[in-house]
Amino acid sequence: MYSKITWLVLILGLSGSATMIAQNCKLTLKGRISDESTGIPLQYATILIKETQQGEVADSLGLFVMKQLCPGRYHLSISHLEGENLTLYIQLNNDTTMDITLHHHAELLNEISVHGTQQQTTTQAVNSISRDEIARNANKSLTELLEKISGVQSLKSGTGISKPVIHGLYGNRITILNNGMIQSGQQWGNDHAPEIDPLLSDHISVVKGAAALAFGGNGLGSVVMIENNAIDADPHLHGQANYVYQTNGRGHTANLKMQQALPQLAWKLSGTLKYQGDQQAPDYFLTNTGKNEQNLGFQLDKKLSGVWNMRVHASTFNTTIGVLRGAHIGNLTDLEDAIHRDRPFFTSDHFSYDLASPSQEVHHHLIKLENRWQVDKNTLWSLNIGSQVDDRKEYDVRRSGRSATPALHLRQYTQFIEGIYHHTYARDLDLKSGLQFQFINNTNFPETGVLPLIPDYQSVKPSLYTIVQKAWGKNMLEGGLRIDYQQLLAVTISKTVPRVVDRFTHHFLNASGALGYRQAISTGLNLSANAGVVYRSPEVNELYSNGLHQGVSGLEEGNPDLQSEKSIKGILSAEWNVSDRLQIQALIYDHHIRDFIYLQPLKEFRLTIRGAFPVYEYRQTDARLTGSDLLISYELKKRLKWIGKYAYVVGRDVVQRRGLVNIPSSNMQHSFNYSFKDATNFKQTNLTLTFRYMGRQRNITEDQDYLPPPDAYTMFGVELGSNIQLGNHQVKCSVQIENLLDTTYRDYLNRQRYFADEPGRNINFRIGYFF
Amino acid sequence: MRQFIISILLLILAVSGCKINDPIIPNEEEVITTIRYTLTTQVGTSPVIFEFRDIDGDGGLPPVYTESDLKPNTTYEGRLELLNEQETPAGDITEEITEEGEAHQFFFQPSSGLNMSITYKDKDRSDRPIGLLTTIVTGASGTGQLKITLRHEPNKSAPGVADGQIAQAGGETDIEIEFVIHVQ
Repeated sequence: MYSKITWLVLILGLSGSATMIAQNCKLTLKGRISDESTGIPLQYATILIKETQQGEVADSLGLFVMKQLCPGRYHLSISHLEGENLTLYIQLNNDTTMDITLHHHAELLNEISVHGTQQQTTTQAVNSISRDEIARNANKSLTELLEKISGVQSLKSGTGISKPVIHGLYGNRITILNNGMIQSGQQWGNDHAPEIDPLLSDHISVVKGAAALAFGGNGLGSVVMIENNAIDADPHLHGQANYVYQTNGRGHTANLKMQQALPQLAWKLSGTLKYQGDQQAPDYFLTNTGKNEQNLGFQLDKKLSGVWNMRVHASTFNTTIGVLRGAHIGNLTDLEDAIHRDRPFFTSDHFSYDLASPSQEVHHHLIKLENRWQVDKNTLWSLNIGSQVDDRKEYDVRRSGRSATPALHLRQYTQFIEGIYHHTYARDLDLKSGLQFQFINNTNFPETGVLPLIPDYQSVKPSLYTIVQKAWGKNMLEGGLRIDYQQLLAVTISKTVPRVVDRFTHHFLNASGALGYRQAISTGLNLSANAGVVYRSPEVNELYSNGLHQGVSGLEEGNPDLQSEKSIKGILSAEWNVSDRLQIQALIYDHHIRDFIYLQPLKEFRLTIRGAFPVYEYRQTDARLTGSDLLISYELKKRLKWIGKYAYVVGRDVVQRRGLVNIPSSNMQHSFNYSFKDATNFKQTNLTLTFRYMGRQRNITEDQDYLPPPDAYTMFGVELGSNIQLGNHQVKCSVQIENLLDTTYRDYLNRQRYFADEPGRNINFRIGYFF
Repeated sequence: MRQFIISILLLILAVSGCKINDPIIPNEEEVITTIRYTLTTQVGTSPVIFEFRDIDGDGGLPPVYTESDLKPNTTYEGRLELLNEQETPAGDITEEITEEGEAHQFFFQPSSGLNMSITYKDKDRSDRPIGLLTTIVTGASGTGQLKITLRHEPNKSAPGVADGQIAQAGGETDIEIEFVIHVQ
């Protein structure tokens, strides 16, 4: 957060050091508080000197004056009803004027803010989740947090595993950027969640883009960015401790964050522990759906010379997730049985924290070194190098004590290096160019005693990109090009005996391009248009997977003849601040994908010892995704606000004239938020009622799935939160109830829907201490 | 700074020079390739053998069936053998099933047209049937399929399960095969 807040200290006083007397308590601190993104003054923002407890309220122009101050070092706390709190550390020697910009949420709902700075530096639509919001939902996964953004849904496998769906696409078609690096992992598996702890980051953004040119990966436009800011220049130790208890699953989440800027080195540390047991549907326990998680992240910032800044970022993510016992099936007969059961088989009458097979154990470690050379005001060179290790073990229920041996064990090693040149020419012409190199090695471990579904492979990928931006008046134009070359070497084991090892090499040369234009029609209205062309080369699972995929109850066969997908996407978006009380964000998109890769069920059934299984082969077709996201915020009356969100997407296979599977149905959410008047010790007290409606997916035919999509459902939720002032410190408390009415429902995008209901009512108690 | 950049370039070279080794082929000791159902009469004639054999496991080549005819109105003693013939000598899965008898049960479902009744002849440690040993009594002539199912971790105390009814058994399926049988 802090780096987004640019503040400038202008020294106006000319008192001179000679006349400075230590106890001359006649200094004046004055300034103006404004919104970071719009520059509009924030009236009634409060500013407090923590050491002396002197406070002031800004006037209608955002101006404040504090008099009779002694020279010294102070912590300033600046807050605004609809904004994130900001803490600044200053040394006051003279009369001082400050220009403070606050990260302000008023243009959107409390929880989601458009990142002001990023808004101005791209023509693409960006939505973000702030650090406060992440901390407030400490027990939530990355995907659950992202779901708060309109147009983002999640594809789940049970209660503990979920991945984001943006504009109808997921998995490899979405780029997840963890501190500037493509998140490595087995992205192809729908039952593989991104291995990221949101609590280790400062904010999370979603770029609903047409082409992500500055990032490698294999996405088709939309990007999830997990980012950390520069460590605040405050020599004291600061941080926060958060604890959340959730009733459903009796889960505990504890997180501690600390940071300090020492003269030699600035450091930041964050650690999270999660311990959660079986979740509960309204009528029964979801046996074996607990999870454990232990995560740690740290960041070091160091200035090595006048122009050279270095940052080290490292994190470790370790989780064990249970998979609903009743969702583990052997063949189609079992699936048919499970579909017709009232409650899943193996449902226990008792709650338990135990994790048995089936389960997943995942470790992800990341280290990155960033170097920035700001050689002059307009020229920036960067060199970044990073490594990731992703180790995944999946356990099945097996015979003769083999349940303790993973049925799948993959380790992926990723190495990433990039050099970036960024130069600002005269007349706001901006050039950014980068050279990237990515190396991936994916290995199966033979201890499993199971032939691997995905072969061992190695990928080498050099890339080059250039983005040019030009701003003039109220207009901004940006365009760019990207070229990726990829060499993929897969080493497969034959399905016939005697087993033979084969080597296959593929070469892909992909070019991508994008163009964007943004215009401020008037002060309150911004319009953007974006278009992009992206090529995505087939992934190793699409080329070579071969075998029984338990999760999908079918034999999956890769297709080594697949070509790259060719995507063209156009986006129109508008942000309109109609008045102080009404704000609208709207976006429509049209996305055509030629040679869209999908799993086609073949007519034949293949006989195995466990009966006949359907055979799925990776095929290519042409697809089209069309949709819109809408967000409206309206102040019904003073302190009472309504926020409405709506997302709509249709995915079609235009060759076979039918719907695409796993596309979210249209959905909407309404929240009513009441902010109470600040009391002496209770600040920013809020009551929010939420109502969410998920429609029924009607665009797929019966032969596309084992079970027709479930019915529409409506969810209610309520949350009450307040910031309690305890002397110099702040304690943030909240109580949140999800699925208020304990509704029984199933969700189309959850694979567990064949087996069990979604979890029932859950109450989250959260307490956060800020120091 | 120059040294720093040179060392990074060297690292790129080192990394991209890596060779990928041949994978170690996993030892699929849990795989069941072969089910042999041997039926003998008390009179001492040569046994009748039904066999399902899928040497390369799921996918790959289709399985091979060996099927025979049964005589009407005859009593047979049935014995099931499960093998992993990918290993040499063949792995004996029957032994694993016997050891974990309480977590396994075979079910035998003759289709209509196939006149036979099948009863369990063996017991696990809790005195419930496993189904490795059975008695088959054929009736009048006819043709149909006999479906043999092995369930892992079924609810063996559920109603009807001990009598060979699969409906309430649950668990997950480890084997599900069908033999075509002529009783003539």
